[in-house]
Amino acid sequence: MKWLSLLTNEWIKIFSRTRTWIFLAIPIVIIIGIAVYDKVTTDVEVNENWKQELTQTVKDDQKALDDAKKNGDNAIYIDSLESAIKQNEYAIANDISPYETTAWQFMKDMAWISSFIGLFVIVVASDIVSNEFAKGTIKMLLIRPYSRWKILLSKFIATLAFAFVMWLVVIVATWLVGGLAYGFGGMDQSYLITTEDGQVKERLIVEYVFANIGVEFIELTALVAMSFMISTLFMSNSVAIGVAMFTLFAGNTIVMLLATKDWVIYTLFANMDLSVLIDGQNQMVKDLTLPFSISVLAVYTAIMLAITFTVFQKRDVKA
Amino acid sequence: MTTHTLELKNLTKKIKGKTIVDDLSFSVREGEIFGLLGPNGAGKTTTIRMIVGLISITDGDVLINGDNLRGNFEKAMERVGAIVENPQLYDYMTGYKNLMQYARIMPDVTKERIDEVIELVDLKYAINDKVKTYSLGMRQRLGVAQALLHKPNVLILDEPTNGLDPQGIYDLRNYLRLLANNGTSVVVSSHMLAEMQMMCDRVAIIQHGKLVRIDEIMNQEHEADVKVHFQIEGDVTQAKQVLFNLNEDLNVTESGQELIVQTADVRFIAEVNKQLVLAGVLVVGIQRKTKTLEERFLEMTKKGGDLNEVAVPVNE
Repeated sequence: MKWLSLLTNEWIKIFSRTRTWIFLAIPIVIIIGIAVYDKVTTDVEVNENWKQELTQTVKDDQKALDDAKKNGDNAIYIDSLESAIKQNEYAIANDISPYETTAWQFMKDMAWISSFIGLFVIVVASDIVSNEFAKGTIKMLLIRPYSRWKILLSKFIATLAFAFVMWLVVIVATWLVGGLAYGFGGMDQSYLITTEDGQVKERLIVEYVFANIGVEFIELTALVAMSFMISTLFMSNSVAIGVAMFTLFAGNTIVMLLATKDWVIYTLFANMDLSVLIDGQNQMVKDLTLPFSISVLAVYTAIMLAITFTVFQKRDVKA
Repeated sequence: MTTHTLELKNLTKKIKGKTIVDDLSFSVREGEIFGLLGPNGAGKTTTIRMIVGLISITDGDVLINGDNLRGNFEKAMERVGAIVENPQLYDYMTGYKNLMQYARIMPDVTKERIDEVIELVDLKYAINDKVKTYSLGMRQRLGVAQALLHKPNVLILDEPTNGLDPQGIYDLRNYLRLLANNGTSVVVSSHMLAEMQMMCDRVAIIQHGKLVRIDEIMNQEHEADVKVHFQIEGDVTQAKQVLFNLNEDLNVTESGQELIVQTADVRFIAEVNKQLVLAGVLVVGIQRKTKTLEERFLEMTKKGGDLNEVAVPVNE
């Protein structure tokens, strides 16, 4: 009938909460803060003499590498040192300054801000169903002439839309702040990656930024589906938020502990960080590729949504 | 022909093998206030929750305006308004925004209608305040407002007087009567007997999930067992003798300073009074008492204890 009105309602509910605005403001404040801090503290001297600076870094790294090899240190550490040395040598040889910041470089450097968004999205998603059960308002909603799945779908879509909007707001804010601070140019700027066979290659920063924007949408969808399921299974909003947070942190920790097991690549959390796959393989868990991880996330998302809708459809509301 | 807006047919709810509502059937007429009365835990709330689709039906059917809730939920619920227990509202929004939430998703609610309902429940002065600042009575009224927005022809209220002050209860009773007069069927549940008697046209008494009987609440004039209490100053026995002389067959009982005469005839009451006064007895008060719903209810649900001993006459 008027399903879109259900969606409008959910949207209004999300934005009627003060916390939603705080969640939107926090990443923006952080972005501006970092840009300002960087502007104030960056030494222009270093920028001009970056080749000398880099040569020194290569020397230091080489020394650290020799030590590490002698002591038989962690292979990942040795790998990272070797790749850093190669990249820096390549940068000196091909005149690619790693210190030249543009709006795009800034966006690449600020990519980690997406984990903040994940955190806030979890709060909103795990609250959106459980809060209505906790406060009893769900009763006023379920007695309307709409099948339950329509009501739940409106909540899911609203949460997903909120997650996407938040991500877009942060992207635009980063680009604007980066552009104002460092200039809007740099579309042709490249960065260096080390391929699996030890070759150093150039890639456009813009490519990375857009790839990162894209995979974050996929990550957010899986994250929303997970929190949404928890939100429906637990009828107290504080419990739901707590469980969702715990699941996220515990999940990541467990993947780290089990990184050597073969089957770990089929778990949800091993596939939750897609941005590390943009430049090739996951350093922590080998064998993961972007298409594989996206497929695993799609399967998990479908299963979690199926559980959510089944439980919600059948539940007796006694609260 | 009487139109029935809400029909329950053999409605049953079992939770983990325990029967909460047992084969319940009744029909609510257009424009009547129908009460569900029973002690706590009798299954009133469970019944109401099944009617509005909050809990699943184990067996039986609910028909609303002819549409079966189990097959056609969306159609059946279109003209239903309800408050289940306390009206729960979004504290972080204003009263008006709360109403808008429901106005948006119900068919044909105009802006004028919203204003009209706000006027009706007398919340105009606070409608733009956040609901978290509302008193319980104000919340209750906003709850009534959301239930009435789409002009439902079946209004279902679970314990509607909970938390209302006497003025609020009085107002609610008047609204409900007004709605019923305009053709809305109102279903209310309560364990407050006196209230149900004042509010309802018919009352279904429920115990252990079963329908015990349905009572018409009638005007006292037509009631069979009306008792008239004469309050006497002085010698009650002497006064009783006066009445005995008047009519030997008269059923008169003595109770403290009162003589209780069983009669519904107004003229006879005047005659008894006249005789008493002529005989020099000081009559300081006359009171007519109907056997209350409360007495009948207690008779049925307490005395004897076992439901099986109670006859189940249904007035239809």
